[in-house]
Amino acid sequence: MKGIEFKNVKKAYGDTTIIENLNLKIHEGERLILLGPSGCGKSTMLRMIAGFEKITDGDLYMNANMVNEVPSGKRNVAMVFQNYALYPHMTAEENITYGLRRNKVNKQEIKRRLDSVVETLLLEPYLKRKPKDLSGGQRQRVALARAVVKESNFFLLDEPLSNLDAQLRVSARKELMNIHHTFKQTMVYVTHDQIEAMTFGERIALMNKGELQMLDTPENVYNRPVNIFTAKFIGSPPTNIMDMVYDNGKAIIGNQSFTFDTKWVKHIEASNATDFVFGIRPEHLQISKSPLENALKGKVKYVENQGDQYAVFIDMANSEVIAMSNSKDWNTDEVIFVQPMADHIHIFDKATTNSIGYPGV
Amino acid sequence: MNKNNTLHLNKINMKPWLFLTPVFIMFSLFVFWPLLYTFYLSFFDWNMVSPTKTFVGIDNYISVLTNPTTYKIFLNTLFFIGILLLINLVVPYIFAFVLHLILNRLKGFYKTAIFLPAFISLVVGSILFTWILNPISGPIAEIAGWFGIQLPIWSQTEGLVIVVISLITSWKVFGYNFIMLYASISGISEEIIEAARLDGVPLHRIFLDIILPVSSSAGVYILIMTIVQGLQFVYTPISVITQGGPNYASSNLIYQSYNEGFILYRTGHSAALSIMTLLVFAILLLIEFKFVERGVHYEN
Amino acid sequence: MRTNSFLGILWHTIFILTVFILIFPIIFALGTSFKPLQEVYNNVLNIIPIAPTFDNYIGLFERLPMIQITMNTFTIATVVTIMKMLISFLAAYAFVYFDFKGKKFIYFIFIASIFIPFTVTMIPNYLIMSSWGLADSIFGVILPQISDAIGILLINQTMRSIPFSLIESARIDNISHSRIMIDIILPLIRPQLMSTGIWFFVNSWNEFVWPSLMLKSVDSYTLPLALQMFISAEGGTDLSVAMAVSIVTMIIPLLLYLVFQKYIIGTFTASGIK
Repeated sequence: MKGIEFKNVKKAYGDTTIIENLNLKIHEGERLILLGPSGCGKSTMLRMIAGFEKITDGDLYMNANMVNEVPSGKRNVAMVFQNYALYPHMTAEENITYGLRRNKVNKQEIKRRLDSVVETLLLEPYLKRKPKDLSGGQRQRVALARAVVKESNFFLLDEPLSNLDAQLRVSARKELMNIHHTFKQTMVYVTHDQIEAMTFGERIALMNKGELQMLDTPENVYNRPVNIFTAKFIGSPPTNIMDMVYDNGKAIIGNQSFTFDTKWVKHIEASNATDFVFGIRPEHLQISKSPLENALKGKVKYVENQGDQYAVFIDMANSEVIAMSNSKDWNTDEVIFVQPMADHIHIFDKATTNSIGYPGV
Repeated sequence: MNKNNTLHLNKINMKPWLFLTPVFIMFSLFVFWPLLYTFYLSFFDWNMVSPTKTFVGIDNYISVLTNPTTYKIFLNTLFFIGILLLINLVVPYIFAFVLHLILNRLKGFYKTAIFLPAFISLVVGSILFTWILNPISGPIAEIAGWFGIQLPIWSQTEGLVIVVISLITSWKVFGYNFIMLYASISGISEEIIEAARLDGVPLHRIFLDIILPVSSSAGVYILIMTIVQGLQFVYTPISVITQGGPNYASSNLIYQSYNEGFILYRTGHSAALSIMTLLVFAILLLIEFKFVERGVHYEN
Repeated sequence: MRTNSFLGILWHTIFILTVFILIFPIIFALGTSFKPLQEVYNNVLNIIPIAPTFDNYIGLFERLPMIQITMNTFTIATVVTIMKMLISFLAAYAFVYFDFKGKKFIYFIFIASIFIPFTVTMIPNYLIMSSWGLADSIFGVILPQISDAIGILLINQTMRSIPFSLIESARIDNISHSRIMIDIILPLIRPQLMSTGIWFFVNSWNEFVWPSLMLKSVDSYTLPLALQMFISAEGGTDLSVAMAVSIVTMIIPLLLYLVFQKYIIGTFTASGIK
């Protein structure tokens, strides 16, 4: 297989195991996001691909070749570092062309690649400047350019936008999209920012504690999380999670109940789980002061302004539930009706924390 | 996340060993092997030239330890350590604190001037001070003479001779220690000190409660370096000015080891004495590693 | 930071006094080195000679092979510095950028060797040099001086100040180790390496103990050894010449320090123990 494949990969430092047993295939030419909280092993994975971290056990394949013992320089990988790693004593131009010059690429070819990347990333005015005379955004583009001129099949990005402010991130993402569109490299992009993951990724590999949680498109990761961790990690505010007892077509949550439709009833009854966890995203809860059909009751705790919407924190069946609302007109201690949207429910097996899946479409 | 910031290239990578080969060769030849050989020699009676060495077991150690001169020299060594620490640890610590927090002007000048003698040979220092402190015709004696004071002949006075030799050595050592301590103290975050000032903490309390604990690893490093290097540094003025005299009054463990080896040609005694010195230093080294190296060189 | 002025004045006085004690002997020696002999004793407190003369310097060069001695000192210090920097640089590179079995232990052993007093190695080293026919030779002085782990410690610390990603970036671009050293590490830590080099040079220039054990004939002497010859009389007749030798001995280290003091103090204060 072209692309990159982790096969039963283990990574440990002495007695500390970072990654236990990882299997992951990254397709040729795709934009794959490695997403997860800090310490989840995503950077370690990237550094294993780059050849900076030795693989404790298992095999890593790149373009169908086992590369465990192949040194960094021989893997033909381009990388953008989180701190950009620009050589401070070289100008932007020298930074961009240094690797090519030392690898004896001929002068005309270097010039062709430099001109092309300078045009794409609008670097002309900065070429003669050293990193300390460049702004954060300019440095980021020089770092990007340095990786691009390598024209390699694999393009690694380690939180490349984390040092930029919000506005620059949008334009930097657009540049990255352009670059990928032009060169079609296999891009592996590490981030802890789910917005970046959602907007830039063709597929997301969500990691936690060295284990792959879910590998799928951003849509599926959002709409059909395979386990509680994924449901809670993706989306902001996070998915509401409540213990639930299934009883004859109904979900018993605390001392209230909610009636499933027939699709869900069949699906739940077909699963072999005994204890369940009910999940629903804040944006999929309808709230109202007047009674709603098939709704639960809760008490408003407080309201948080999120800009375009308001997050309403509700005390319901002894757990805190968040619902999104267009109105801020909710009074503390007011009892309101909370109705989950039937098409957006997630049910998990409490024992395994895995999703029991979704009723057939 | 980068727990281990090193390049992993091949399973068995020969490169680092290649880069280490020169130091391995040089240190094996001129440090490690000599260390072992001195240890070996400490069990023999030898005079460095005779073709035969006589194995005497631990006799050298016994005779060194039962020799009353050794006790005198050991006490001298402690005396040296005490004075060196006072002048080259306590004083520069306070100076570094004062320069960082109290003085605003002339900082650069003070640093440059105080560090300067560290670049000058101790033989020069010994000669200059021998003359300046010459009790009969030197400039200090001249000035003291105006007031009818006569300087003691320090190089012949037990006790005083150690003080003066320590002072001469301090002339060279002080600046280095001062700069190292200043580096440590000026690296302490301003916020902590400002917070203490806002709380109205007096300066001496800031020094004792904040500066000392936060810069303690530098303090321990300088403490131990002052002992280890200082005792070797004093060798030069001893050798140049007094040759250990009068009657071993200015000798220390280091000088005595030299004296036994190269003046009295008692190689075994010299070796035994230096191995014992090494043991003392080794204990200091363990303290150093416990407090300093762990915190500094392996911090990532 | 604002402090009350009394405290400031008090401490400035103490600092000025300290600087005076540290620097005065040098100025005094400079003045004395230009005094004719009788002025040394009759005009003790005047730093500036009444009848300045170069006689002491001229006499010095007549009595001792000073050019040879200065060349010996220079050669020893230069070779020691270059070799020590080179082998320490390579070792530090291995310690900083590679992971290998026993690394921490080996590093510990090297750093621990800083604590070995010279008395422990002096006899065997003396025997080695004699058996190699290097006694009384500047090579006999040079070789043991190179084996000093302070170099590994200092360069190791300096290299760690370079962001690791710079080296990784070069490695991923297939840059060789020698090129990484020359193109990236050297330019980035040049001031620190220069200061370290000057420090080694000056220390070797000033080294007294080991040359005094090795060197027997005046022709192979170094400056500190030549200087020592003038103290035997303890304030005796050679004093003004002794001051001239002192000036010759310290002039190169002092110039190096004064010219590069900005880098040197910068390096020492930055590489300090935290």
